[in-house]
Amino acid sequence: MNTILNRAGRNFLLRHPWQLALALLGITLGVAVVIAIDLALDSALQSFKQAERTVSGNATHRIIGGEGGLNEALYRKLRVEHGMRNLAPVLQTYLPIRQNPELKLRAIGIDPFTENAFRSGWQSGQNGAQAAIRLVTEANSAMLGRQTAEALGLTIGDELIVTTGTGDHRLHIVDLITPGSAAATEALRNIVIADISTLQEITGWFGKLSYIDTIIPETDPRTTRTRLADLLPGDVSLISIETQFESMQQMTEAFSINLSAMGLLSLLVGMFLIYNTMTFLVLQRRGLIGNLRLIGVTRRQIGRMIVTEALLLAVIGTALGTGLGLLLGQLMLQPISATVDTLYFKIDALSLSVSPLQIGKAVLLGIGATILAVIPPLREANRFSPKHALTRSQLESGTRRLTRSILLLGLLLIAVGFAVGFMSETSIQLGLASVFLLLFGFALLTPSVTLSVMSAVETLSGRQFGILGKLPPRMIGAEISRTGVAIAALMIAVAATIGMNLMIDSFRVTVEQWLNTTLQADIYVSLAGDKPARDKAAKDSQLKAAITELAEVEEVSTVLHTQVAAGGMPVKVSAFELTEASKNGFVFKQAFDAELWRAFEEQQTVIVTEPYAYHNKVKAGDTIALQTAEGLQDFKILGIYYDYSGDRGRLAMSRTQYLHYWPDLGYTGIGVYSIAGSDLNALESRLRDRLPQGLELKSNRAIFDASMQVFDETFLITETLRWLAAGIAFVGVFGALMALQFERTRQLGILRAIGMTPGQLTGLICTETGLMGLTAGLIAIPVGLLVAYVLIYIVYLRSFGWTMAFHLNSAVLIQGLLLAIFAALLAGILPAYRMARTQPADALRAE
Amino acid sequence: MTPANNFIELDGLTKNYRESGRSVTIFENLQLSVKRGELLVLLGRSGSGKSTLLNLLGGIDRPDSGHIFINGIDLTTLSEHRRTLFRRHHIGFVFQSYQLIPTLTVLENLLLPLELIRRIRLEDRDKAAALLNELELTSRLDTYPDRLSGGEQQRVSIARALIHDPLLVLADEPTGNLDLQTGQQVMSLLDKLVRQSGKTLILATHSREVMGIADHIFTIRDHALIETGD
Repeated sequence: MNTILNRAGRNFLLRHPWQLALALLGITLGVAVVIAIDLALDSALQSFKQAERTVSGNATHRIIGGEGGLNEALYRKLRVEHGMRNLAPVLQTYLPIRQNPELKLRAIGIDPFTENAFRSGWQSGQNGAQAAIRLVTEANSAMLGRQTAEALGLTIGDELIVTTGTGDHRLHIVDLITPGSAAATEALRNIVIADISTLQEITGWFGKLSYIDTIIPETDPRTTRTRLADLLPGDVSLISIETQFESMQQMTEAFSINLSAMGLLSLLVGMFLIYNTMTFLVLQRRGLIGNLRLIGVTRRQIGRMIVTEALLLAVIGTALGTGLGLLLGQLMLQPISATVDTLYFKIDALSLSVSPLQIGKAVLLGIGATILAVIPPLREANRFSPKHALTRSQLESGTRRLTRSILLLGLLLIAVGFAVGFMSETSIQLGLASVFLLLFGFALLTPSVTLSVMSAVETLSGRQFGILGKLPPRMIGAEISRTGVAIAALMIAVAATIGMNLMIDSFRVTVEQWLNTTLQADIYVSLAGDKPARDKAAKDSQLKAAITELAEVEEVSTVLHTQVAAGGMPVKVSAFELTEASKNGFVFKQAFDAELWRAFEEQQTVIVTEPYAYHNKVKAGDTIALQTAEGLQDFKILGIYYDYSGDRGRLAMSRTQYLHYWPDLGYTGIGVYSIAGSDLNALESRLRDRLPQGLELKSNRAIFDASMQVFDETFLITETLRWLAAGIAFVGVFGALMALQFERTRQLGILRAIGMTPGQLTGLICTETGLMGLTAGLIAIPVGLLVAYVLIYIVYLRSFGWTMAFHLNSAVLIQGLLLAIFAALLAGILPAYRMARTQPADALRAE
Repeated sequence: MTPANNFIELDGLTKNYRESGRSVTIFENLQLSVKRGELLVLLGRSGSGKSTLLNLLGGIDRPDSGHIFINGIDLTTLSEHRRTLFRRHHIGFVFQSYQLIPTLTVLENLLLPLELIRRIRLEDRDKAAALLNELELTSRLDTYPDRLSGGEQQRVSIARALIHDPLLVLADEPTGNLDLQTGQQVMSLLDKLVRQSGKTLILATHSREVMGIADHIFTIRDHALIETGD
């Protein structure tokens, strides 16, 4: 009995392959987007972790200083004077290479004799220990990963030409590292290893180290750690490698959550699609179900039949979605890691890593979402009595009654959404949950709003176009159980698009205004080069003096972007030499007076960026304890200023205060202010003549353009995901319209029989789909505005600590409306074409 | 060329359909002549091709070969568009399962064929009201089809088939879904209205009850049309 019963259901599905395919597509796309984001994001971070783990080897802790590096004497003191053995000094920098100017190799300088306990992987080359000796004894010798060497067409004995602040240098390759595993191969991609002294020589980092790795035994961690920490100068920190990874992870947390939310948005839209298709599949079979009930099949058996089908669809869709997700993940890996690279930290190697847990999550999500989506149609199927299973209109009138309950539920969800959004204080997750609740709530309002809109359209179009004008709105209203869901899915996607567009637009305008205010100088000189290099500060200082002497130059400002330590963790600091004009580049959150700048220059004070204040929960008047060589020093916060250059924030202090406690690392940039009326082109040309090779000169316009380009690039992945969600919604609308037209075949056949031409029929179907798009677009506009508001004032503020001004761009709203109409019209073309080509006689014979 | 006196002329009409990859013949080389104002009954078992022949006559299906002349016009040579326009002006359909548009009221269903021809005028509404009055449906003008009984729906369907004054009315099993008494009422109404207006009616049925009102009775048997006599 059960086998035949299942066959009855299965045969129905097989006779409607389009709907079957669309149901599978819904699950597949929803699962694929979620798993792709999860995989790409996780892989980018895992790649970073794997590379760091390979580089750090067995080290458990790391001794770090500021960007000026550690003094090599510290290492000698710890090892020789205090007898600490488990220490490995490292110098690390990035080197552009002549063989491939686009590529920067991560150069790691080591002490081969202390390395064995820490990292033995680099000794896996064919020359093994002998190569280690050559690294120490032969000048400019280095080792390269086998894969990297092959990519560059190099082998043992060849030369690698690298460029540093001190010029071009030739490194002799003495061995190729052959990692033992695929993961290690990836991690060691683009890495060059040399003896510390070799790297110190070619970079000019004489007497400097980047960090010292150490192994603190698990048996007595506290005593060893305390002893070691006590031996360190005040501006040097001992941190655990795991803590460093965690802080890296925390940095990207907000970014990860926001990206995952975009994936979930696709799944939400996908769920509507699954729900829609499953509802169609159940409702279309009301005749079959009625007949089965008539011959004694129980509700439980019907339920089991539908759930079995849904499970089967879910399993196939999830399997396909997982496969597609892997492909999409691979495609997304590059843009996601590029964004992480731009915003947070450098990722050297990239490979997609898949864990069983991620696959498990995808399976749970795909099957869970399908089961969730099938519950309402299942309840509907169980309502069919053998008698009323045959009448559509009764079902629809039931649905119309249901729209009132759905309306109330929608209003409730919207209220909860607002409450969650505004009362959850700092949680990003709850902020995003609020967006989802609002979207879902408004989606539930859609059927009621659609009925009202259709009623109004019917009155207007009826007056103008008679009965034919009344038909499209009536058809939408009459089949609200299906049209409503399709409109809701489209509305969600378009509202999300409008919301995201308005948010990005507002952000863009805010950043533009900020850049215009911040970029006060006429020309900027960007000073590259390794900060720890011995003569960098002196060279920078000479350059500044040379620029100041130019006749066209009125004054110059300088900045040094670096890092100092606070609470054992690095904190970004900008040390400024400000001119009166450059002070105008700071916009403070609160009112300030001239006294602020005097205190900034003369006292132990800082000003902090808005993201720093937000993430560290500090306000003007508080103090921050910074690690200096003279121990902890308190710096009073004078004010909080707007800054959109990074989402973790930074401190700003006067250069005088900075130099009081930290070493001179030169400048990162020099702002040049010209005398009023001077020829900027001539000044630029004269500046270029004075610039040493490798330094860049940029007008404030060029910096503005480059910054906006970075801005656009960081939103590339968000844009891609938004379009994916819109694409899924389009598939949803397309599927719903296809299914509607399938079911309506006979009705459309009658219209053809009584004299409606194929052209009129196409017009009728397109008007209907256009009206559906119009309704979705009209509802999406206020919802999109609301989404933008929540994103700007709740989600992004909590995620990144940025205040943005809401910028209402009416073009975005019009584009959203047109997108909805266009998507719906496009989705209606195929059904219209198919119906127009169907012989009326065939249409009348349809089931 | 159709003979001058015949309103409908079928010449060598053949229709096949495909089933499981093979061609099945419904009828072959049919010949038929019908004069204007005649009432012709088509008999035959289920699946014999009665509905298919009506579909061909109404221009909603195309034959594999042969010609269909109605009022001197060969339907088989017309484009899809021209056939639709011909149907719009000159054909009225009555279906077994009524086939009313569920999203339109009784009055709107009735006026739709007229609106496809021209903009609805006041006299069209009067004509529809009179027709519905004759069919005792005046009280159901604004009712949707799903609220009507089977007999009422079929009466609306008849009114819709006649409202635009067609030359030919094609009725496919119009009493098939009705009980005996209601079926008789519907048939007598159809007969009366069609005869009154001098239209030609071709009625497909497998019920022999309606033979009394027919001018000619044909049976489709073994892919051919056989006149059964009175």
